[in-house]
Amino acid sequence: MDSFTYINIFETKGLEYLLLLSFWVLFIYLVRYLSTSDKKRKH
Amino acid sequence: MDRRGFLKSTLIASTAALAGSEAQADETQIPEEMVGVLVDTTRCIGCRACEVACGEQNGLLVPDVLNDGALESHRDTSDKQFMVVNKYETDKGNVFVKKQCMHCYQAGCAAACPTEAMHKNSQGPVTWDGDKCIGCRYCMISCPFDIPKFEYGEWNPKIVKCTLCFDRLEAGKKPACVEACPTDTLMFGSMVKNLEVARHRIYSHPDKYVHQIYGEHEAGGTAYIYLSAVPFDQLGFRTDLGRTPYPEYTREFLYAVPAVLFSVPAFLLGLNALTGNGKSDNEGDRDFDYSDDGEEQ
Amino acid sequence: MNSNTAVAGGSGNTFQFLLQELKPRGPWLTPFNVISIPIILAGLVILVIRFIYGLGSVTNLSQEFPWGLWLGFDVVTGVALAGGAYVITFVVYVLRVEKYYPIVRVTVLNGLLAYMFYGGALLFELGRPWHAANPFIGNSFGFSSVLFLICWHFMIYMVAAFVEFSPVIAEWLHWEKTRKFLKSLTLGAVILGVTLSMLHQSGLGAFFLMAKPKVHPLWWSDFLPILFFVSSIYAGLAMIIFEGTISHRVFKDLIGPEHHHSFEDIMLGLAKGAAITMFVYYVFKALLFIHGKQWSLINDGWGYWYLLEVIGFVLVPAFMFAFGFRNRSLNTIRIASVLALLGIILNRLNVSIITFKWYETVHYYPTWQEIVVTLMVIFSEIWFFRWVVTRMPVLNARH
Repeated sequence: MDSFTYINIFETKGLEYLLLLSFWVLFIYLVRYLSTSDKKRKH
Repeated sequence: MDRRGFLKSTLIASTAALAGSEAQADETQIPEEMVGVLVDTTRCIGCRACEVACGEQNGLLVPDVLNDGALESHRDTSDKQFMVVNKYETDKGNVFVKKQCMHCYQAGCAAACPTEAMHKNSQGPVTWDGDKCIGCRYCMISCPFDIPKFEYGEWNPKIVKCTLCFDRLEAGKKPACVEACPTDTLMFGSMVKNLEVARHRIYSHPDKYVHQIYGEHEAGGTAYIYLSAVPFDQLGFRTDLGRTPYPEYTREFLYAVPAVLFSVPAFLLGLNALTGNGKSDNEGDRDFDYSDDGEEQ
Repeated sequence: MNSNTAVAGGSGNTFQFLLQELKPRGPWLTPFNVISIPIILAGLVILVIRFIYGLGSVTNLSQEFPWGLWLGFDVVTGVALAGGAYVITFVVYVLRVEKYYPIVRVTVLNGLLAYMFYGGALLFELGRPWHAANPFIGNSFGFSSVLFLICWHFMIYMVAAFVEFSPVIAEWLHWEKTRKFLKSLTLGAVILGVTLSMLHQSGLGAFFLMAKPKVHPLWWSDFLPILFFVSSIYAGLAMIIFEGTISHRVFKDLIGPEHHHSFEDIMLGLAKGAAITMFVYYVFKALLFIHGKQWSLINDGWGYWYLLEVIGFVLVPAFMFAFGFRNRSLNTIRIASVLALLGIILNRLNVSIITFKWYETVHYYPTWQEIVVTLMVIFSEIWFFRWVVTRMPVLNARH
């Protein structure tokens, strides 16, 4: 039989949290980008 | 034993919810009376007597075994044949493998069927009821073994698949293919006992068999189980199906449905009530009186 | 439009009024008619053949590929594109954002017709459609089936959408009391409709959960229902922009002058919503990609195809929507909506047809008959849509 290999099902968790953080950074930027136009239009 | 409720159940998915995890963890949970077939491919000589018997029994194509040269290609079951025998050239010589419905313990096709036309019977066979079937072919999509076949050339098409000779079982007989087998390749009996026999054969002849019983865990366990001298991927079996019973894949979604149906409308009503307060800018008959407050204020 | 002077007094008058309204109006030999009429007739002939000689006589469906264009496009894709109705009714009636009111009626009508025609297309897709009532009656409730759920949701949602639209019909018939009553049902119908839409949009994704070994791993995921639901939101928004642009030109005369002013604002608002939803959807895809450690799958044809869909038809239009909103550029938004719609079509077809059994050497492709019937469904929907908007007060809400 094959030699024993430990399968870590949480291997990608670090990357996932990294993606989560970058999502929030980008998302806040996107929302700010989209809301400035609102103000510009009103003034 | 509370088998009765389980067997009678009309909800495959909900039984999966109730008994699924046990069944997954321990296959001895399979009821004694559920029957299946053990196929020992090391014994098969490729005579295809089972194919002939199947065709005769079910009024389907009866192959001309001596002359049709069908073993030269790898055939699939079709809308004309419930089962076929294929020949595989391996490093241990030619191996013949019978292919038909596996009669999964937790059948994906039966869970997929919107009308219960595909039905897992308490004795084990998965059968099809033409009076209920709407011909959506979702069973074909959901079957991990691609077994249900459809009559594309008929105005009133049927789903065609092995029934484990349900009628014969009712009459206390064995399936036609098993009875026709001259070499004891096919062994009919209780699923649980078949599994014990299969394990015993591997244990007694550890050099003869690969140490795997195909169907013991595949797709959550099947009524047809296979023994082989060569790895199963060389015999046309899919070895990537996983151990999860297929109805489990939609279980969580279906479980969420009632939860969504009571919580979301309540949430939406609340949201509507919240946004409505202090806003009475519905001008007269602007058709915008979405709730009664427009008219009363 | 309100020139229907045949105001209904008694029921006899109503009948005459209906007869009069049934007559065609406008010129016959328009380019659209010239193209669509032969296709619709050809489609009907094909359907007759299909019902006599079976599905195999006109389609390329096979034992390996039981679902083709009729299910993959008409049903799975068509319903996603009809998602605009539940999004807009949610925004207008639940959140009370009045800005979008002028497009509510036309969007609900579009949604209702899409379900009627695309859901109806399921009937000739089924092998035994004469049993189609079975999931609704008798002892044949397949509670464990996703399709069973979708059948019921389609039916109930159609009723809900019809109730949402019914005040327009009452207005058209000048039934003032009925209209008031129907109007009072709207909020209930909207809430029911939004809930059902959430469930059946995601249900179309749940369709393929049990096809795990058959759909390419880049497209199959435990989260298919959620992916389908999220993408149906922006599919609906993009469809409103796309369809609004067209009907704004074609039915220019029908639209009240006040709506011309709000049109641009509405389109910009929809673009903003689409940009945010698409970005969220994209990150969701990225999360699943990382979680599934799928980078090993990316370096072949299927991988490039996946990247094209996810970047070219999700991320790019998302940024185009954002850019178009910020710069108040309706043209950018229109192009973005076309890209987004292509992305939705691509995604749904990828899951249901294109990557289905990607390992098979012989793959399914639709016959010309299947394409003609699909076009027939689309064209007949447009015909019906045109009939309704030129008669009922859809584009010009009363004011």
